[in-house]
Amino acid sequence: MGRSRAHYWFIAPAVFLMILILIAPVFVAATLSFTDYSLGNQSFNWVSWKNYEALTKRSSYQKMFTASLAYVIIVVPVSVALGLGAALLISSLRFGGELYKTVFFLPVMATLLAMAIVWEFALHPIIGVVNDMLAGGCDVGWLHGLLTGAWYGADPMASWYGRGCADDFPLWLGDKNYALGTIAFIGIWQAFGFNMVLYLAGLTAVPRELYSAAEVDGADSAWERFKLVTWPMLGPTHVFVVTITSIRSFQVFDTVEALTRGGPSKSTYVMVYAMFEKGVRQNLLGIGSTITVVFLAFVLILTISQVYFVNRRVHYS
Amino acid sequence: MAHIDLSGIEKSFGPVRVLNGVDLGIRDGEFLTLLGPSGCGKTTLLRIIAGLERQDVGTVAIGGKPVDELRPSRRDLAMVFQSYALYPHLTVAQNMATPLLLRDLGFWERMPLLGAAIPGRKAKKDALLKVVRETAESLKIEHLLGRKPGQLSGGQRQRVALGRAMVRKPVAFLMDEPLSNLDAGLRVHMRAELAELHRNLGTTFVYVTHDQAEALTMSDRMAVVMEGDILQIGPPSEVYQDPQDLRVAEFVGSPKINILPGEADAGGRLTCLGIAFAQRLDRPAAGAVSVGLRPEHLELRPGGTSGCLVGRLTHMENLGADVFLHVALADGGHRIVARADPTAAEDVSIGDDVWIGRQPGKAMAFGADGHRVPLVAERTSEQVA
Repeated sequence: MGRSRAHYWFIAPAVFLMILILIAPVFVAATLSFTDYSLGNQSFNWVSWKNYEALTKRSSYQKMFTASLAYVIIVVPVSVALGLGAALLISSLRFGGELYKTVFFLPVMATLLAMAIVWEFALHPIIGVVNDMLAGGCDVGWLHGLLTGAWYGADPMASWYGRGCADDFPLWLGDKNYALGTIAFIGIWQAFGFNMVLYLAGLTAVPRELYSAAEVDGADSAWERFKLVTWPMLGPTHVFVVTITSIRSFQVFDTVEALTRGGPSKSTYVMVYAMFEKGVRQNLLGIGSTITVVFLAFVLILTISQVYFVNRRVHYS
Repeated sequence: MAHIDLSGIEKSFGPVRVLNGVDLGIRDGEFLTLLGPSGCGKTTLLRIIAGLERQDVGTVAIGGKPVDELRPSRRDLAMVFQSYALYPHLTVAQNMATPLLLRDLGFWERMPLLGAAIPGRKAKKDALLKVVRETAESLKIEHLLGRKPGQLSGGQRQRVALGRAMVRKPVAFLMDEPLSNLDAGLRVHMRAELAELHRNLGTTFVYVTHDQAEALTMSDRMAVVMEGDILQIGPPSEVYQDPQDLRVAEFVGSPKINILPGEADAGGRLTCLGIAFAQRLDRPAAGAVSVGLRPEHLELRPGGTSGCLVGRLTHMENLGADVFLHVALADGGHRIVARADPTAAEDVSIGDDVWIGRQPGKAMAFGADGHRVPLVAERTSEQVA
């Protein structure tokens, strides 16, 4: 008796679409990364590994990797730690938890591009509310004393705030020493509410009896119980939160495009922005594709390491 | 000395009153069971003894010393939880070592790297690992020490939970329905093992269960808890044979005791469904009473016997050694369960009319308030008989 071939027809549309819109573009990008193709050109030349060599050698791409990695290294730990801290505090509240959840989740719900524009105004060196407020504090004697350390006899000019009062407060987005930090701050502001929600969900899955057991076993302080129960029981949540936050941090684009356009002096030239600038603005599809492939490789490494190395150690049964 | 004394324990969760002034003295070395339906407050009582819950009013004293201000770990008690509450990320050995590590090693000594540098830590650690190994051997789980709880069966987890409780050599063990997650066969087996463990250790056990079979088979004394009160406390045989409250009589015993409406006249003479009893109430008081008849105190009689409960057989449960007959009484409103000998039960089949007789002197009477009213033999009855 011959087997029916109908199942191939049933899966064909899904497989076809998956190949067409998900897998093929990756291969196209991988192929283009070995060419010097520009959109509209009739033909292209194979350039072998030249594009990849450019990524390793040219200083603007080194700045790109530095900016992306620095962004990830700042945003991931801080937003994960803040998310966990907020979740622990909220779950210990008897009432008012809903309010905090809503407040911390607001930035997640907002459109990041729109929020970026709001931040742009807030951080504007002349008309921005941030520098306005900082400058306002300079005239309040006790506050100035407290923030500069003049209270305990330190030289006001030795402190960041003292120098800001004397000269000027930073340009934030216009200063290459501050721009990436400022972008990262906005990233954290936006991301930690999401992590908090994930951790809150993880916390509800921790069996209450384990805390009782820990208390009877002698874990008297909250810290001991956190170490013995909460932290390990949140294992799967940690992996998920860290992976998701890392991928989303690698993907940062909206704030950079809206606020700094990669500058000043490429200090915020993150990968996805570079991809966009090379591939779309400058129509250099070859190098744009190369950055895309490297970006994909980063994300893939993160995901695979989650599946193979960490997941095995955090799922206990 | 580890006698535990509770006096006047009251506890409410919000508007819900869970315990209404419980007094309980647990003797040193005894196996005391708190038996009651779910939601009666027995687990709350246990958690109050453990210090995991704080009572609103009343005191808990262990070995004569009040412990109300002491944290759970300082009360030197060990607890076994219904879900076992093993730490899933730690191996069996680490699980069992946890209470010792937390008790015997200081904060810095428990630090992963720093701790190793502190002198004397290794000796301490070796000593406690030895205790863990010995305990594991006594529970026959030494081959599991390297595994994680997720890789163990229910019965093995149960033993590990016991082991974790035992390593500290606590003054008392508190157990919160430890067998309820096991399958029926294993539960019966663990009952015997727990009772044996108690005899070997000689430590006080406080055991919470809703399973009257566990209470009856294991305990030295059992306390029946209902609606936040201890209704009766005593050895299992006494609670079973001599329940002082209708609720106790109904809760303890399987199949359940048969409760039939009865009537007492001014002289205390008792009639039940038209049958006059050969006993009368100890204190003459006319009115309605409930008459309790345990299934094993009823028996199948030949048809037409006088003084019998008559009804139709609706169901038979054959347990091998006994057959339980479910009978719908002829008055239409009541059903009773009677135990019969398998050979005697062969003669009847479902749908037959059956005559159920009482063994003399076994009936119990409960007043309208649910309290037991003692029955005494009618002075004239012997002369009549």
